[in-house]
Amino acid sequence: MTTPLAAEPTAALGPEVAAARAASSPTWLAARRRIAWDAYEALPMPSSHSDEDWRRTDISGLHPERFAPLENVDSTVLDAMRAQRDSAAPDAALIFDGPSSTIIDGADTLLAQGIIVTSLEEAATLHPELVQRALTAVRVDESKFAALWNALWRGGAFVYVPRGVQALAPVWIAHAASGSDVAVFPSTAVLLDEGASLTVIDTYASPAGTAPMFSDAMVLLSAGRDARLDYCTVQQWGGGVWHVAVQRAVLDANARLRFTGITLGSRLQKVWWEVLLDGIGSEADILGICFGDSTQHIDHQSLQAHRGAETRSNLLLKVAVRDQARSVYGGMIDVAPSAVHADGYVANRNLLLSQGAKADSIPRLEIRANDVKCGHGATAGHIDSDQRFYLMARGVPPEEASSLIVRGFMDDVLDRVPHRGFAELAGTLLDAEIAGASVAGVAASGA
Amino acid sequence: MAVQARELTKDYKYGFSDIDVSVFRTAKGLSPEVVASISQHKNEPEWMLKFRLKALDHFRKRPMPNWGADLSGLDFENIYYYVKPVEEMSRSWDDVPDSIKNTFDRLGIPEAERKFLAGVSAQYDSEVVYHSIREDLEKQGVLFSDCDTGLREHEDLFRKYFGTVIPPNDNKFAALNSAVWSGGSFVYVPPGVKVDIPLQAYFRINSDNMGQFERTLIIADEGSSVHYIEGCTAPNYSSDSLHSAVVELVAHKGAKIRYTTIQNWSDNVYNLVTKRAIANEDATVEWIDGNLGSKVTMKYPSVYLMGERAHAEVMSAAFAGDGQHQDAGSKAIHVAPNTTSNIVSRSISKGSGRTSYRGHIKVLPKAHNVKVSVRCDALLLDEESRSDTYPYMDIENPDVTIGHEASVSKVGEDQIFYLTSRGITEQDATALIVNGFFEPFVKELPMEYAVELNRLLALSMEGAIG
Repeated sequence: MTTPLAAEPTAALGPEVAAARAASSPTWLAARRRIAWDAYEALPMPSSHSDEDWRRTDISGLHPERFAPLENVDSTVLDAMRAQRDSAAPDAALIFDGPSSTIIDGADTLLAQGIIVTSLEEAATLHPELVQRALTAVRVDESKFAALWNALWRGGAFVYVPRGVQALAPVWIAHAASGSDVAVFPSTAVLLDEGASLTVIDTYASPAGTAPMFSDAMVLLSAGRDARLDYCTVQQWGGGVWHVAVQRAVLDANARLRFTGITLGSRLQKVWWEVLLDGIGSEADILGICFGDSTQHIDHQSLQAHRGAETRSNLLLKVAVRDQARSVYGGMIDVAPSAVHADGYVANRNLLLSQGAKADSIPRLEIRANDVKCGHGATAGHIDSDQRFYLMARGVPPEEASSLIVRGFMDDVLDRVPHRGFAELAGTLLDAEIAGASVAGVAASGA
Repeated sequence: MAVQARELTKDYKYGFSDIDVSVFRTAKGLSPEVVASISQHKNEPEWMLKFRLKALDHFRKRPMPNWGADLSGLDFENIYYYVKPVEEMSRSWDDVPDSIKNTFDRLGIPEAERKFLAGVSAQYDSEVVYHSIREDLEKQGVLFSDCDTGLREHEDLFRKYFGTVIPPNDNKFAALNSAVWSGGSFVYVPPGVKVDIPLQAYFRINSDNMGQFERTLIIADEGSSVHYIEGCTAPNYSSDSLHSAVVELVAHKGAKIRYTTIQNWSDNVYNLVTKRAIANEDATVEWIDGNLGSKVTMKYPSVYLMGERAHAEVMSAAFAGDGQHQDAGSKAIHVAPNTTSNIVSRSISKGSGRTSYRGHIKVLPKAHNVKVSVRCDALLLDEESRSDTYPYMDIENPDVTIGHEASVSKVGEDQIFYLTSRGITEQDATALIVNGFFEPFVKELPMEYAVELNRLLALSMEGAIG
């Protein structure tokens, strides 16, 4: 495939790339990709002027067509991400979602249990019915970015846990990127059949620095009847990355999801954390921590969609912003008439650390059933000068006192993270952010 | 034990209507000619005509809001924009036509006047026909008239403030009001004057297909205080009516304004109101806002805290019965440091009713040491009722303390059981719980209004128990 315009990079995101991707896919997927590309071209770019959902997040500076699909990842990123896995969850199977190939490592235990651990691309060929099941959760044309992802994703991670199987080890997924003016389409699909259980750790990283990159990510989680899924994710893209992602879970009857999201990196992110409580008695606990600094713009949108009766959900997102960083949080608890006895709560706590930092919070409720218990809370505040004074009076230097208070603000969330190794990793990364020693992005090897 | 929906009584208590006694009305629909004829009929100065025409232009350019309630049933071309009921302003009660008096009797206005002995400014259609100001208010230098008189008799003062809090291009409905406004109240309280009796005005819609576009402007000069009460009851008509008011409040340094509304439009009225206050240094503005009637209400009383230590208080209550949508809430914009705001909202949805709380808290970069508290609670009475909460918070200063809490629940079965086990009928028990739920709002009302509100609630609750 060659492009007619000599000045353009040979493989910038465009119809040729999309056609090539379709050509290398199984027939059913190729058809899906073609429809998705048409939808992508037909849909307008979201605008902060005309789209209410995007009013507070301006992406007029993002031009997807200026990015070329990533072909190679710097090995230092790979090493740094592997090192994180080694210290936090040495027993975990590693899926390295590389641009052209997916590396699976240490998955023997899980494979022996009959669990499928592979790339999404390979699964699309070997287990089409499972991948199709996972993909039912996203419409190819549901948004500009979902359409683009559907047309262009490759590699990716796929995990399937058969009926009744309790995974003996976690799965650690590493989505990496490096270089400049490149686009990645990180993909994670996890299916748990009836009564299965699994812990997934889903990480996103690129080198520190401000090289422009574009990440259009999709995470599709599905927990069958009585299944238990712990999903932990950390976003540590470099400071030049535009990150748009949907991380969506569908829960069947009595399924239980514990979702933990740690957001540290990127230049600008817009991420949807969505839980669809379809089955009767399903439950979801969603925990989030976000630290933003310099001129980062970090947008989280959450959805707790109660469809089944007796469903319960609880979300807590804690945000600290420093320098000129801006946080946008939009939450929605949507209770359908069928969700009798639903119990939903959403809380967003914001800590503003500098003059110039901003935090917007919009925790919405739409309740269409009457026998429910729903609520939300949102707070914004600054470091309590009494607390700081107390620490300083005991000999703690002022900067350290502030760091301790910020860390204390986050600690009650970290304490509730189900995977201890991940919680410790998150704590270490958070400390580095608070100390200001590292900007977003994984440290290069040896640093 | 489930609380079931049954149709609201069709026998709407305030659903009477009088023979139309209007003496002048514009053609249906909206055009520069209609606007000019309103202005001409009122003998307005040239600047006001220009203001109206500019606003009309803006109204036509502005798209309908794509958020909030469903306004697709509105037909701007099928509305009379100005109806004048009688030729001259009546200065005494005896001059008021009997048919109009009858309407007022049924609304209890004379009683209200006897009780409050304050100025009564009863609006019949678009024009104030009856208006009295207590003598001592006049002696204190308080100006209390309808807005047209305010423009005529105090043009300089009127012009200084008119349209400064809510400019015509603020939103589509403010533009509409700015183009075709008539009636409403004009209040000016001189420095240091405390008006200790609430000023009140009744607003009435009477002509079929007639919109009511009143304009209220209240200025409380330095260190003064005033309480203004607006109450509405509208007769039932078959086709939809539009009510689109603009209310502007200016509280100067150290002044206090309380503005109380109980909105009880009949359930075919679109009530799309812009209410905004400016609170300067050390000033306090309080909105006490009750929404019971109308088909659709969109109303978000707001306070711009422009001066240090200004304080905003908003207490609102909404009740949405079958087919009603109350999309209400409040906004506090903290521009100056050390400002505080406290917002409490209670809403109840019954039958297919829907209540939405839509609020906005904004703290600008220079506003340090700001304290905000927002509390909204919703009660759902039936399986098909709906409640939404859309609280927007934009914080641009680190030195703030902001708390927001919301809850949605149904009338507790254990509460009902507790009361019924003590011999109270289920219907009375539900009414008790509902009244208790509205208590924080009701206790802010003058007694007459508290009684009226309880009566209206009881009426709305009839047949709530299956």
